[in-house]
Amino acid sequence: MDFSTLTLEIGAAALALILLVVGLFLPDGKKGQVGIVAALGFAFLLVLSFLAPGSKGPFFMGQYMNDGISVLFKQIFILGSLLVTLMSLRFTRRFEDARGEFYVLLAFSLVGMMGMAGATDFLTLYIALELMSIPLVVLTAFEKGSMRSTEAGMKYVLLGAMSSAILLFGLSFLYGAAGSFGYGAVMAALTGGQTGPLVVIGGIFALAGLAFKVAAVPFHMWSPDIYEGAPVPVTAFLAVASKAAGFAALLRFFPVVLVPLGLGMTTLIVLIAALSMVLGNLTAIPQTNIKRMLAWSSIAHAGYMLLGVMVASFAGAAALVYYLLVYLFANVGAFAAVTAWSELSGSDEISSFKGMWKKSPLISTVFIVSLLSLAGIPPAAGFIGKFFLFVEVAHKGYLWLVALALVMSVVSLYYYVSVIKTLVSEAPEGETSKADIPLALRAVMLVSAVSTVVLGVLPGPVMGYIRNILSTLSS
Amino acid sequence: MISIAFYLLTALLFSAALMVILSKNPMSSVLWMVVAFFAITGHYVLLNAQFLVVVNMVVYAGAIMVLFIYTVMLLNLSKDNDNRASLLVRLAGIVSGGLLLTVLIAALRRSTDAAVGDLAQVGATSLVGLVKPLGLALFRDFLVPFELSSALFLAALVGAVALGKKEASD
Repeated sequence: MDFSTLTLEIGAAALALILLVVGLFLPDGKKGQVGIVAALGFAFLLVLSFLAPGSKGPFFMGQYMNDGISVLFKQIFILGSLLVTLMSLRFTRRFEDARGEFYVLLAFSLVGMMGMAGATDFLTLYIALELMSIPLVVLTAFEKGSMRSTEAGMKYVLLGAMSSAILLFGLSFLYGAAGSFGYGAVMAALTGGQTGPLVVIGGIFALAGLAFKVAAVPFHMWSPDIYEGAPVPVTAFLAVASKAAGFAALLRFFPVVLVPLGLGMTTLIVLIAALSMVLGNLTAIPQTNIKRMLAWSSIAHAGYMLLGVMVASFAGAAALVYYLLVYLFANVGAFAAVTAWSELSGSDEISSFKGMWKKSPLISTVFIVSLLSLAGIPPAAGFIGKFFLFVEVAHKGYLWLVALALVMSVVSLYYYVSVIKTLVSEAPEGETSKADIPLALRAVMLVSAVSTVVLGVLPGPVMGYIRNILSTLSS
Repeated sequence: MISIAFYLLTALLFSAALMVILSKNPMSSVLWMVVAFFAITGHYVLLNAQFLVVVNMVVYAGAIMVLFIYTVMLLNLSKDNDNRASLLVRLAGIVSGGLLLTVLIAALRRSTDAAVGDLAQVGATSLVGLVKPLGLALFRDFLVPFELSSALFLAALVGAVALGKKEASD
């Protein structure tokens, strides 16, 4: 039993416990300092993930895998948690006495995400998935005074329970066919000819359960309502880290468990990806609330990223990780800008963005860079991320999918640019109060914007690192 | 010797279970339920399921019963409260109870005395109910999911408190 594999998981769980105790001992007015401890803890974990990636291989009787994919995804989760924590420092001031718990739940959710990236066993996967989701539900409903936040939490817990039920139902069929929980044993049983209609149904149900977590059409219904109702930093966390965790699980699950079920599964995932791209981008156009618009745009991005899962190759995984990193910085940048702006204007409707350029060039610049990256305009990183991804899809022979993705990227340009147009336009009233942006939020915005540009202009070093980790730690 | 203990415990269990639903006072219902739990614990002892004995004692006969007693005391059920169910509900209860009885009888009908004797033999010698195999399963075979689920429970607890706590401004 090699516990060094679990260094990061143990670290994150320990951080959650430390935060819980620190929150207990801080005097009443100073509970907000839990957030600073949390940020330091996440930063420490991020450094640790580079220093001690652990040794490669399956551990704990094949239930847990440490390889390039899990290391890279864990780094993405920790980075997301760190940025979201910094975003929340000012925001959580409005919660009188439950501020510490906000960060405790964030850390617990991080443990669950790491578990999802490492799980190669149905039982571990399911428990990790719940460990990720349950704190997210509470975080969604954290604004107790707000009806919309409570409603979003309610919807999330109900729909999440239903998707869990569907996932478990599917997994039970696969377990029935293979007689084992482990991915490896399931693959051996399925390639040995254990495929019947019931097993295929099991595979489809399991895919549906995971597609819910990444919010891909037709399992996306929950995300616009919940993204809109949740507090903004939580929305960013949902859009970035929770979605990445879903992709980590899919990246392990799809090639090993679903591909042996036959060609139909690849067709199915192609269909889900195409539907997500089309519906996500088209529905984003008429949205008037920025959180709803970003929710639909994140559904569209889930479509692009599912293509990377479908490719099911080393290069596909590298392209997907790079895309996720780009998507993380773009989304965190956009949501940080929304956080800063809604503190100022008290609204997250797109129409309230008028005059943003005059009032705060910093927020506007970060916002514009992030939106351009999401749309895929060079020099922002979205372009190069899409390029890596689409090249792999073309290699696989799905040229029509690449064409569809390109057309949909052009469609997405419309709604991203119309937001930019609104925010540079003149304010209706002439009030010019100076923007007061907290230091941590300012740092998050700057880091996101700079990273977005750097990843777009100089993709070499980061892509080299990703490929290096994948090849040294993978088979 | 064991069969005498078995029949004694069974008789105790049945009478206690009957008293739970027959007694008028909710408080004595709860106390009879404690007796029933003790009888079940005795059955676990006979089956050599050591771990279940301890857990049943601590969790059911201990913690959950305390919870029940407090709930009954806090609800302060008055005696003149006529809470008899309507005819339809009673009929539904009789039908579903009868169905459960049918299933149980169908399952147990085939198990002859010899088979029961075999089972008792297995129960006496196997390690299934002991603490050691259970510990090995939890802390060796399923260590990662087990530890993750402990984190899950703590997270759910913290979340419930965070959501349920009254804000100071309220």
